[in-house]
Amino acid sequence: MVDKVLSEQGAGSISTTAIRIRESGIERRARFRGLAEPLSLLVALAVLIGVFSLFNERFLTASNFQNVLTQSAIPLIVAVGATLVILLGSIDLSVEGVMGATGMTWILLSANSRGGGDLGPWAWVIALGVALVLGVASGLIFTALKVPSFIVTLGMWYVGLGIATMLYGTDLLPRLEDEGLKGWTSRISFGLPNSFWVALLVIGLGMFVLRSTRIGRVTLAIGNSETIVRSAGLPAFRVKVAVFAIAALLSGLGGILATVQLDIGSPTVGSGVLFIVIPAVVIGGTHLGGGKGGILRTVLGVFLLTILNNGLILSGVESSYQSAVTGAILVAAIVFAAWSQRDRLQVAK
Amino acid sequence: MNDVTTTPAVLRLDSVSKSFGSNRAVRGVSLNIHSGEVIGLIGENGAGKSTLLKILSGNYRHDEGTIAVNGQTIQFRGPADALRAGIGVVHQEQSLFTNLTVAENIEVNTPMGRGGVNRLGLYNWRRLYADAAKALDLIGSHLNPKTRVSDLSFVDRQMVEIARAIRVSAASHTTPLVILDEPTAILERTETAILEREISKLRDIGSVIFVSHRLDEVMRICDRVVVMRDGELIADRRVDDVTEEELFRLMVGRETHAAVRNRRSIEPTSSPVISIHDLTRAGSYADVSINAYPGRILAILGTSGSGRESVARAIFGAEGFDSGSVSIAGYSGRQLSIKHAVDLGVGYVPAERKTEGMVGGMPADENITLTHPGSAALGPFELPRRRLSLARMWFEKLDIRPREPEHMLQDFSGGNQQKVVLAKWLNSSNLKALVLDHPLRGLDPGAAETVNAQIRSVCDDGTAIILIPDTIDEALDIADDIVVMRDGRISGVFDLGHDNPATLDLLERML
Amino acid sequence: MSKIDNETTKIAVPARGKLQSVKRIGGWHAIGPIVIFLVILVVVAILTPAFIGGGGLAIIASSSAPILLLALGQAMVLNVGSIDLSNAAIGLLGAILLALTLGPVAGLSPLIVLLATTAFGAVNGLILAYAQVPSFALTLGTLGIFQAVALVASGRTTVYVSSNGEGVHALYESGIANVPMTFWMGVLLAVALWVLLRYTRIGRGMTAIGKNESAAIFSAVRTRSLKVLAFALSGFAAGLAGIAIIAQAGSASPTGLGSDLLLPAIAAALIGGTSISGGVVNPLTVIFGALTVALVPIATTAVGIEAQAQSLVYGAVIIGVVALTMSRNKTSIVK
Repeated sequence: MVDKVLSEQGAGSISTTAIRIRESGIERRARFRGLAEPLSLLVALAVLIGVFSLFNERFLTASNFQNVLTQSAIPLIVAVGATLVILLGSIDLSVEGVMGATGMTWILLSANSRGGGDLGPWAWVIALGVALVLGVASGLIFTALKVPSFIVTLGMWYVGLGIATMLYGTDLLPRLEDEGLKGWTSRISFGLPNSFWVALLVIGLGMFVLRSTRIGRVTLAIGNSETIVRSAGLPAFRVKVAVFAIAALLSGLGGILATVQLDIGSPTVGSGVLFIVIPAVVIGGTHLGGGKGGILRTVLGVFLLTILNNGLILSGVESSYQSAVTGAILVAAIVFAAWSQRDRLQVAK
Repeated sequence: MNDVTTTPAVLRLDSVSKSFGSNRAVRGVSLNIHSGEVIGLIGENGAGKSTLLKILSGNYRHDEGTIAVNGQTIQFRGPADALRAGIGVVHQEQSLFTNLTVAENIEVNTPMGRGGVNRLGLYNWRRLYADAAKALDLIGSHLNPKTRVSDLSFVDRQMVEIARAIRVSAASHTTPLVILDEPTAILERTETAILEREISKLRDIGSVIFVSHRLDEVMRICDRVVVMRDGELIADRRVDDVTEEELFRLMVGRETHAAVRNRRSIEPTSSPVISIHDLTRAGSYADVSINAYPGRILAILGTSGSGRESVARAIFGAEGFDSGSVSIAGYSGRQLSIKHAVDLGVGYVPAERKTEGMVGGMPADENITLTHPGSAALGPFELPRRRLSLARMWFEKLDIRPREPEHMLQDFSGGNQQKVVLAKWLNSSNLKALVLDHPLRGLDPGAAETVNAQIRSVCDDGTAIILIPDTIDEALDIADDIVVMRDGRISGVFDLGHDNPATLDLLERML
Repeated sequence: MSKIDNETTKIAVPARGKLQSVKRIGGWHAIGPIVIFLVILVVVAILTPAFIGGGGLAIIASSSAPILLLALGQAMVLNVGSIDLSNAAIGLLGAILLALTLGPVAGLSPLIVLLATTAFGAVNGLILAYAQVPSFALTLGTLGIFQAVALVASGRTTVYVSSNGEGVHALYESGIANVPMTFWMGVLLAVALWVLLRYTRIGRGMTAIGKNESAAIFSAVRTRSLKVLAFALSGFAAGLAGIAIIAQAGSASPTGLGSDLLLPAIAAALIGGTSISGGVVNPLTVIFGALTVALVPIATTAVGIEAQAQSLVYGAVIIGVVALTMSRNKTSIVK
């Protein structure tokens, strides 16, 4: 025990001199960037909305507004979990697999065209239970076996897809039969689409967890320095598992909503979500190294990508270009963020 | 100052010992600390100070002897036990979460349900801020608990560490004992004054162990000074009964510095290998001019705010500068790259051996040939056998042990690792100057001596050496020239061939 | 990104006597990938003897060729401590370019494709090295761009080789020991990279970057150029993978979006003993990583697991094999 504590301290200790030299330079910029990043995102959003409304009258309409919100709801829900994981300094690649497994479990246990039992609310509980099991498994393998999160969640992506494919089997396409649920996600209540209300709830809860709970604060601490977390005796192990579990639960919720939206069960219901969620988190300014960032920033990132794609499609740009636009924005955002901090001694992984 | 001897001891050590294998790091240390006392703990590197501190902070278990807190004998099983007993350590390396608030960092050791975080893990921010403000208030600090640590100055961060150290004992109403491990080593003069004021405030609520290398500070701040040498506590004096010179003698165990080196003055005919002229980097140093001659060791003294490390890095091309010039072996350029400096014959041993000096996961022989392959490569191709025999040659020459260059460098001891880093530069056929940034950092005295011997012999072979030493003694021991820097400017130049500066004189020019 | 802090601090190291560390050759993570492949192969051989007799090995080898080529490029990038998420998309774009240009420029076409894909990789490396951005986010972004270019270039449909396809197709048709040349192309590349890493200063510098980039910078290793080179090699290998795809299928479809190959190739590199934190790679064992990845679907069928479960088994195998083969340190921090 004693030896362990010591060698940890040894491993993490950089001379204070070095820290100090670096900090004095970095911090002046960081304070400026702390404001500049969300501001520049907001400005970018405003400019986008302005340009698109000028060139297309259909863009700034209530129906398109609701359309954008519906499109952004599922990525928003998943991105809240992804932000938490990235704040740890880890990564969760399993979202699409977890979405597939959860969505498929849910539709097969709800009223669907294949028949079978309609468990009603229990379908939700069991389906989210599947997501929870996947998330806890990821978290445990990551923390207990020390397998890097990239690999664990890459494997869990396949495992999730596999579960969905097995449940799907070789039978007919399961189609949602509950009339009340059909189209529920895009239906409007109190001016906003239902799925967006769910997203707002998730964002609010996520912000609360990150701001005012032990899990959230220790998550930030781990991202800052896991060595100090351990030597301070904070529960690093439990928090890491919990964060992966939360992320999987949110992916699962996204999977169910996506299934409702699609009307049918499909193992690949989450296809493409990862490529929106991770760029959105990074564009929002959350550091891949962990410890810095937040959920509201991610929300801005998701909106930026959704509005951009929506506007381009309305302007008649071929959908083939969508991924290029997302990609180019992502590259521009990270280069913009890193440019002022370039240094010949800097290590870029 | 109240008469402390009549109050009971807050902490009592009785013949405490600790060994690592055959190395007895701490031997039979006995010490009483009373409430309201500020004790200075001094000693050279390797004297056993840090082992003693780690015993007190619960990181090490002592082998022999007893520790009693408030009259009760205690065996610490971990850092948490020490905290509960009221002992808080402020380490030299800061251990704060820079992305969290001041309050959270202060409250980090407070158990859930006993402070601003309830048993479910939910935060009551108002309570958290109030508790932290109370702890800050106790030490007389007016920091805003809501501030993020990354926005604080260095000395303010030290305040946060102190507040955290007394927080647990404040909550359990025990008398806190705060151990400050070289808190001033990296502070600037004004910052040190602030810290001194804070330490004297701590006297009202508990006691302090103050570890420092700066004897004048110890004399100013402390009531009592204890001196450690070779693991033993060899002196325990009240500051009124002792002088700085006497403390110095007790600490190093000798009177003055015998002339270890036969020093020569700079010969007027020789030309410098490295010549920097009016070098300036905004916010770091200004108008620095230094000449380094072949066969001479030039030591740059200064505190961490002096900018000497940055000057050293500029010579190696690792850091840019705003104006002035660096010329190496006749080549003079505005901006150098590391590659260019190395091609011109400069080598650099960084202060952070493990993270910057060596590739620990690579075998020692590959580390040696990483920069200059010498005869171990034929054009772009490496010759593994020749590499190994070349490495063996260096292992013999620098007495690197064990003689197994095919092993991972991380498995060697610190001194031997440092010699491998030296060998990496010596393997150049073109080495003209070697910049050494704290080459003895973290080495035990024996290892430091052998590394020093190698540095001397490299110098005697005609290489110019620019040394950033840990201590003034190190400079007086080995250097031919001494340049002193203060706040980014040169405050003194000595040629030890005919100057004989006193330690205090050098110190004065640094502070 | 994912990284393992391998710093070890020993309290007391004996000044004399034997060091306890594993020597640089041998050790479990050097032979692990081969053992795992052989174990799975033996299980398959016992359960379905006809598979081995019926040229099953040749089938595995030929189906593993594009994965192997991409995995080798990925392994080079992982070795310098980065990751290239865009290499499969570059490979697919290469395949589409090849299919489009084979008709008009014939023999020059593969050359153009290789030049183009190498340049794409180098652009990744240049942005990474000079803007100092994290490779994960950077290549995720360029992945999107290359995908879009592939979609636009192909007009969103499968592109067939119109003429002059014989030469390229021959790479698949001809072979040594019944195994197509596309696979041997991968083996050849693996050997070349192995020589580069083991016997050249370039390789030594790359490994030093992966193990401790700061120390490499302070040792005057040309870290920027070497990182650009690693990414360029990844692009080159992706171009070869594109050629292998056309050789095998005679056509390329942009809708697979390369992700069908990206993850298997990363898995192959990792199962082949490449460390995700950098500095540990052996291109020769990556061959077995790719073979294992190609064998798993066949093995699952042989063991009697239904086809739908393949992906599940695949995921479990990736986690399991990496957990088994990776070297770890008790106090290290894994992200």
